[in-house]
Amino acid sequence: MKILSLFCRGSEFQAQLEAIRPKLYRVAYSWSHNSALADDLVQETLVKALKNSGQLRDPELFNGWVFSILANCWRDHFRQYREMDDIDEIEDFQCVHEATPEDAHSQSQLVLRVRNAVAKLPLGQRQVLTLVDLEEMSYIEVAAILEIPIGTVMSRLCRARAALKATLNELAPRQVAPVAQIRRVK
Amino acid sequence: MKETRIEGLSDEFLNAFVDNQLEAGEKSMAFDFIENDENLKARVCDLRGLKEMVQHAYHQPSLSSHGAPARRRNWPAYFQPMAACLILVLGIASGWFGHVLTAADNDRELKRLFQVGQNSDFGDDPRKIILQVSNSNPARLKSALDESESLLDSYRKEHRQLQLEIIANSSGAALLRADVSPYAVRLGAMQAKYPNLDLVICGQTVGRLREQGVDVQLLPHANVVPSAAQQIKERLQQGWDYVRI
Repeated sequence: MKILSLFCRGSEFQAQLEAIRPKLYRVAYSWSHNSALADDLVQETLVKALKNSGQLRDPELFNGWVFSILANCWRDHFRQYREMDDIDEIEDFQCVHEATPEDAHSQSQLVLRVRNAVAKLPLGQRQVLTLVDLEEMSYIEVAAILEIPIGTVMSRLCRARAALKATLNELAPRQVAPVAQIRRVK
Repeated sequence: MKETRIEGLSDEFLNAFVDNQLEAGEKSMAFDFIENDENLKARVCDLRGLKEMVQHAYHQPSLSSHGAPARRRNWPAYFQPMAACLILVLGIASGWFGHVLTAADNDRELKRLFQVGQNSDFGDDPRKIILQVSNSNPARLKSALDESESLLDSYRKEHRQLQLEIIANSSGAALLRADVSPYAVRLGAMQAKYPNLDLVICGQTVGRLREQGVDVQLLPHANVVPSAAQQIKERLQQGWDYVRI
């Protein structure tokens, strides 16, 4: 029966992983704002979770454990492609602020405006904000996942929200000033 | 969360309030402050609005390149181990029955060949059969000896001539070894009764056993030939029928 219970435990673990996959993707996407990269990160996280399933002693800590793996994967990716990401980030900023019609249209949409604003946050603040807001995690859990002190979580969150508010105000669609009618003057 | 200020509450404290991270006492205090301060109310409202906007922005990140995960059948949790056990049992059972049936087939083939040998003996020339034993399975050996004895007996009763040569090699050499053969007495009796029965053992097998330090003692009338393969080849060239078990 021990063998049977081992099999059952394995299938339960897989079901848990399957259930948490959308959440992982949402957070990975909110960090990277790149669907392909988010997919890769989630995939890597799931593989690592499956490989190291024996390390999870307490099943109640499953969520925090999986998100810690995701944070590590993200950190590894960022470390590995640091230079390239920095360049991309600079280019993104330049593009985002181009006054193209597409950008003007996208900025008028709330969802894209918020995503753009989140994307502009520094990485540390972005991670804290998304874990707290999207996954409703406690500050203690976030501190454990990102391996930072709880005071840092609070200060980053505070700065992130302040910056987000300021950026959203910047990105808000401007009211078009009324254009004076050209009058023919004889 | 002791970062209260006389003139109001810090941003960290308000964020913790919005995120429901305060203890009961701190929360009560926060409610008292907020209720009496329009500025605090506006800040809390802003923070809640921001939080909800972020949640809304990522509610459905539909930019994922992967589609919805494929639906899986909800088998019970015990299904996989049960299925694995069932397949294992089926595998063992099929292996066992396959072995039994194959062995039975081999025995049937042996009988068929002997029967062919009996029925096709129309002329005066003696029938010649060489029987190779390369298997030490006692059941197979017994079956071979039974058939051989039956064949020799029937030929004798019908006054027909038969030459039967049993050649043993590999693990089947045990049949003709005086020290390990389970049928030494029986073979001795058969040889005494049927002079047209020859017992031959492969010289290479004997040599290999002796190299391994085995003291090989052969049955009294067993002959040693250099090689079983060579002997069989020669017999076939001479028109003998060949049967292997």
